[in-house]
Amino acid sequence: MPLIEVQHLQKKFGAFQAVKDVSFHVNEGDVFGFLGPNGAGKSTTIRCLLSLIRPSGGTLNFFGKSLNENRSEVLSRVGCIIEKPDFYKYLSAQRNLEIFARISGKDIAPRQIQEMLDFVGLNGREKDKVSGFSHGMKQRLGIAQTLLHNPDIVILDEPTTGLDPQGIIEVRNLILRLRDEQKKTVLLSSHQLSEIEIIANRMVIINQGRTIVEGEVHELLEKQSLNLEVFVENPSKLEDMMQRLYPQLVTRLLYKSTYHIEMIEDVRLEMIQRMVESGCGLKSVIPKRSLEDFFIKMTEK
Amino acid sequence: MLLKNTYNELLKIATKIRSYIGIGALTLLIFIVLFAMKADGKSYVGFVTASFEQTLSFNGKILNGNLIAFIIMQMLIVHVPLLIALVTGDLLSGEEASGTVRMLATKPISRTGIVFSKWIAATVYTLIMTFWLGFLSLFVAKWMFGTGDLIVLNSNGLLILAEYDLGWRFVFSLIVAFLALWTVATLALAFSAFAKNSVGPIVSTMSVIILFTIIGTLDVSVFDTIKPFMFTTHMAAWRSIFEDPFPLREIIESVVILTVHIVALLTITIVRFNKKDITS
Repeated sequence: MPLIEVQHLQKKFGAFQAVKDVSFHVNEGDVFGFLGPNGAGKSTTIRCLLSLIRPSGGTLNFFGKSLNENRSEVLSRVGCIIEKPDFYKYLSAQRNLEIFARISGKDIAPRQIQEMLDFVGLNGREKDKVSGFSHGMKQRLGIAQTLLHNPDIVILDEPTTGLDPQGIIEVRNLILRLRDEQKKTVLLSSHQLSEIEIIANRMVIINQGRTIVEGEVHELLEKQSLNLEVFVENPSKLEDMMQRLYPQLVTRLLYKSTYHIEMIEDVRLEMIQRMVESGCGLKSVIPKRSLEDFFIKMTEK
Repeated sequence: MLLKNTYNELLKIATKIRSYIGIGALTLLIFIVLFAMKADGKSYVGFVTASFEQTLSFNGKILNGNLIAFIIMQMLIVHVPLLIALVTGDLLSGEEASGTVRMLATKPISRTGIVFSKWIAATVYTLIMTFWLGFLSLFVAKWMFGTGDLIVLNSNGLLILAEYDLGWRFVFSLIVAFLALWTVATLALAFSAFAKNSVGPIVSTMSVIILFTIIGTLDVSVFDTIKPFMFTTHMAAWRSIFEDPFPLREIIESVVILTVHIVALLTITIVRFNKKDITS
């Protein structure tokens, strides 16, 4: 039984239909990537999942039960961060967690609050007002708030938005710990495709309010053709050869002397042989099969 | 869950600076009036009693704590609504502005529960403000000016209420004043459910009070049918308690109309907040 089951979800804001037909399911133990370009309907879908927005149609089931009919029970088993976690800035980190703990639907001891602050690396800062926290610290406090009541499902909507590289790594490591140490089911919406590629085992891509593709990340990527990234000493000779022999392949200059070649037919070995023969000074060939390419291909359709 | 969230709401009010602006302003205003009365109260009272001095002789202490309390209540009951709206108008809209409404609305507590606990907290705050108004105006004034009979000047002339007859009248008038302020608090909370920041609800609440008060004072027959049902008409009902004979029927009518307003406004708030899509 899937822990989350979304079927034909729809949401209209007046005349504008933000979500037209979104369906997917999340199994127990999944780290589920939720992808889509800006305006695809990701945030609206997630807000529907958390009962922030009332859907116009479709069904939302958690643990086999309707969200609509079992809202309190479902939400007591779900933890979430929607975009950026917002707190009562005039209160301390600990006070904020106490406030959310009281309405989490579970009895949470002060010791558990302290443990959670330790888990996200905010020990020693618990008495500080949130107004003095950096964005990264707020994000970590948000994760603490999310996990405080030991939820079965964790929903994270763009948890790395606005974070610096260090902050992104910290949040990513925290999610990996959720997966590996706490065995949580995670639904992760992110713009960081590399993040989804590293963390998620299943994913869905939506575009213009509709589900485009859903499945295992590695299976979906395997269906994808293997592109090449080549580094040469003599770029003009390579460009010349590609234009002459492989005009059907898209060759993009990534940066100085490095090219990305999109393969549409399996001519890799023959092409590499010709590169060597062309005298372009082939230095390296790196096979590329990335989620980014897959995502662009899916959302361009 | 409702009780726990009410505790949360009280905690939020207690830790916000704006909550103390009202209490501070009220304290300051009362002490300014007390100081003014201490400095020049005799001439103020003399101005009021001058027209009666040819027909009446006044014995005893006219300028006493009871009179000062009555004057303070009369002066401030118009301004206290603003101080209350400052806090209650922020209760829902403030959560929207700071983004914490997302955190609240994704917890297992129902949206009705969220509104209800905020309304209870608003009620407690209004009660504290009313109690503070009563305490400062009555007890501090009595401590500074002593006690005595109360002279009330109303449309029927001069009414003198004996000192022994005043205690229950002050308590009852504070209860009715609380009901009027509670209506204002609920109105500000209702506006708060429609807004994304607290400025709108505070300004809207005061605008409604000003507009209704102007309509209430306009001597135009077209408004005669609605005047008895406007809450502002009944905001000064506390003053009727200092009349003789005691106008029980009028006071019951005011209490009923204010209560109906509170229930209606709370219902509007609950319905609105339940239907609201939280997109911030």
